[in-house]
Amino acid sequence: MSITLYHIPDYASTIVHLALEELGVPFEIHPLDFDSGDLASPAFRAVNPLGLIPAIRTPQGPVFETAAILLWLVDTHGRLGPRHGEAGREAFLSWLFFTANTLHPAMMDHIHPERPAGEGLAPAIEAAALARLHDKAAHLDALIAREAPWWLSARQPGVLAPYVGVLLRWSAMLPADPALRFDLSRFPHLRAVLEAAESTPAARRVAARDGLGAHPFTAPEA
Amino acid sequence: MLTLHYAPDNASLIVRIVLHELGLPFRTALVDRATRQQDSAAFRALNPAGLIPVLETPQGPLAETAAILLWLAETQGRMAPPPGDPARGPFLQALFFLSNTLHADLRMIFYPRRYAPGAEAALHAAVTDRLRGHYALLEGWAGQGRLGGPQPSVLDIYTAVTLRWAALYAPGGAWFDPAPLPRLMAMAAQLELRASVRAAARAEGLGEAPFTRPRPCQPPEGSATG
Repeated sequence: MSITLYHIPDYASTIVHLALEELGVPFEIHPLDFDSGDLASPAFRAVNPLGLIPAIRTPQGPVFETAAILLWLVDTHGRLGPRHGEAGREAFLSWLFFTANTLHPAMMDHIHPERPAGEGLAPAIEAAALARLHDKAAHLDALIAREAPWWLSARQPGVLAPYVGVLLRWSAMLPADPALRFDLSRFPHLRAVLEAAESTPAARRVAARDGLGAHPFTAPEA
Repeated sequence: MLTLHYAPDNASLIVRIVLHELGLPFRTALVDRATRQQDSAAFRALNPAGLIPVLETPQGPLAETAAILLWLAETQGRMAPPPGDPARGPFLQALFFLSNTLHADLRMIFYPRRYAPGAEAALHAAVTDRLRGHYALLEGWAGQGRLGGPQPSVLDIYTAVTLRWAALYAPGGAWFDPAPLPRLMAMAAQLELRASVRAAARAEGLGEAPFTRPRPCQPPEGSATG
């Protein structure tokens, strides 16, 4: 029995799609349609009661929450990151949770600034969120420059490069005001890793399937 | 030897309790928030993001509370389902929920100026609404046995400490009501009786009932805030 990925292209499930394709394990896609209300359907709520994607169905049962799925894949299959007892596990866990806890929420506030507290607060939240994004991206950029972790490198983008790449892609593409878009070129070490990540044969296959364009991370286009 | 870089009643408290639960010897190193020691070169060398806690281990430093809890559980084979266990997926999902949703939203309440400068009151109102929803979800998990089971997990300790913060730290105004959360509060009351929590409470000046009757900490060293 293989893994089933519940998926809408260029939603957070694209992150898991990239990781699965990179791993080369058997998986199938169960496409969902946002506008048809698939996420609220009883069938999908049986997989994820919160009605959120990504979610995967595995031989051990469903798993959801983007970073939880990525960590589950590393722990189950290895290769895309260090497992318990392997070199780099401590730093990998720290930076995975850093990304999930600080970068991901900053991105959500940046591209959906009306969600925390309505339209009135959106401009203040959007601007503050962009500053938070720059701060978090700078930490990842410095990490790569200083430590060259094998699990976030041009040679092995791991699970973190697709995670960060997709998050920053949306922040670069979606804000209506160009002055408020995230600029990856300010973070050259991170950019180099994301450029390698989007160039793998696996990433190119996913980009074609999900309609992500030729350079999903370094030159995202709507 | 493990070293826990801590400040009283910060997220390092969660790690301290778990270290006691696991029976692991450890040293502590105070991060003096009054002098913003978390911005010092020495601390930033351990955690460039400058957040507390950091756990120094023989294999290198760990940052991010949930990462530390997971590493400790994996290293000891306790307080969390191991990789390969069918409960591992739901456990990871819960751990990420606690850290990237519940805890992240609490930080918006604690430090509103970082998230909506000039609009702190409106942010407080909106995020406290979300937080009530998060705690209702956790109360449901307690009803399903995902929290508050016979043996404490790292999820239980993490949740219980946040109950204390929700009651105590609300610069925008008190908002937390334990009345709709009887299962969580019962879990917290049980945890308070454990030797691990009593040791942590003594070390950080948290009083006799740190979760169910929280009061501001009176620590022997350092301070909870800057």
